[in-house]
Amino acid sequence: MSVSELTPDDEKATAVADSAAPASKRDLNIVFWIFPAFFGVFGIVFVPLLRVIPPPRPDVGYAGMISFFEAHHTTIRIGLVLLCLAFGGAAVANGYVAYQMKRMTSGPVFAYVYMGGMAVGVLPGMLLVAVCFDAASMRLDRAPRVVGFLYDLGMLSFNGSLGCFSTAYLAFAIAILLDRNKIFPKWLAYLTIWQIVTELLATMMWVLPAGPFAWNGSMTFWLGTAIFAIWLNCQGLMLKKATDQQPAGTRPPE
Amino acid sequence: MTAGVDDLPRTSNVRTQQMALWTTAVALVILLIAYAAFPGFWPPMSPQLSADQVATFYRAHTAWIRFSMVTFNLCGIMLLPMFGVIVVQMKRMTTQSQVFAYVFLSATVSSSTIFALADIFFATAAFRPNRDPEIVLVLNDLGWLVFVAPVGMALVQNIMLALAIYHDNGAGAIFPRWVGYFSLAVAIAMAPSALSVAFDSGPFAWNGVISFWLRNIAFGTFVVVMLVVLRKTVHQQSVDEGPFQ
Repeated sequence: MSVSELTPDDEKATAVADSAAPASKRDLNIVFWIFPAFFGVFGIVFVPLLRVIPPPRPDVGYAGMISFFEAHHTTIRIGLVLLCLAFGGAAVANGYVAYQMKRMTSGPVFAYVYMGGMAVGVLPGMLLVAVCFDAASMRLDRAPRVVGFLYDLGMLSFNGSLGCFSTAYLAFAIAILLDRNKIFPKWLAYLTIWQIVTELLATMMWVLPAGPFAWNGSMTFWLGTAIFAIWLNCQGLMLKKATDQQPAGTRPPE
Repeated sequence: MTAGVDDLPRTSNVRTQQMALWTTAVALVILLIAYAAFPGFWPPMSPQLSADQVATFYRAHTAWIRFSMVTFNLCGIMLLPMFGVIVVQMKRMTTQSQVFAYVFLSATVSSSTIFALADIFFATAAFRPNRDPEIVLVLNDLGWLVFVAPVGMALVQNIMLALAIYHDNGAGAIFPRWVGYFSLAVAIAMAPSALSVAFDSGPFAWNGVISFWLRNIAFGTFVVVMLVVLRKTVHQQSVDEGPFQ
């Protein structure tokens, strides 16, 4: 691995020259700390409130689906309130990762791809399941086949939105591998490739309603979630490192 | 140094921003007409209506619902150009790292996808109003939930704009200071409508004074005020950079 400067020349070129205020990194730090705060709220919303993680079973029939909403309708509605207020944190996390990617020598293309893929993924991959579960919870007397439709639409959308994230992960991995500014370490790119592998495994949930490859299966869900949790923590920690190493008063090149 | 405007010749950069503002202004007028034409907003439909009442409503007003939803579909996202101008102007701020501009852009994309989905639920319900009333009801519910409640992206947009203006405190600040406080006030006015997913009646329900009227008036006011502010801002940019042709 070649020795390279942590402060790239092209960043110096775009350092803010005519600033009246002293160079400060307060704006970067504000945005960075929204990342862990948001994913903390995300955990509270999706695990104890919405009950989407761990997932309810796909193979329970209408009676099981109805009893799921009868048991959890109160927390589901609270969960969606919280999510509606806080899910903009996903845009902060995505936008900030894309921002750091723009500091790489690998050019802006993959930064834009990452932002685009993640920004589209917010709706099918995060919001829609909560909306579907809320729609089922607000009227517990809906026809069973309608409840079943909301249950499936929510879970398949949440766990089965594959392409938005695969595209973002691919862009993230390639950009890191080609970057010479060492914004993120190379091992994070290899870890990110495992995220794509889990998305490929998850294709199976669209055809298999039970077993290890169903939406609650050991392969599609548990392996994928374990790798996601490791990856997300690593990305957050490396984002902190990138924030700390960015020289004050600099911005990415155009 | 004006990072962010160098990717195009300066003259056309100013001109494209002015065209973007006009696009949004025209789209806004058309949207207000569609808004006035949607029978479901006068008054906003109650979450307490039964499946039969909702289905009857869609059958009685099919043509106007289709007209307003097709217009929303066509012109709703045409508000986007103004938000693009905000991103460009945020990137012109010289006293900071530009990070708020990137986050603002990311939130803008996500919030647009959500508006587009709400419209599709309403329009699909009106496509076959003779459907099983249970199905019309659930499409109507999904439309209202997605239209009113997910304000989190707008909150991030407005908070990021406010933070950017607050930190842009050098000489030659892009926006007047009050725009930041105004942006924050709009965020505060829109935030309570998240509660609409947990209330079936009262001011916080999706048809309530706070969740529906306050939220929508706040957003509409934001677009109108920002159009005026940005018109001046872009004009100032053209003065700073020389006359354009």
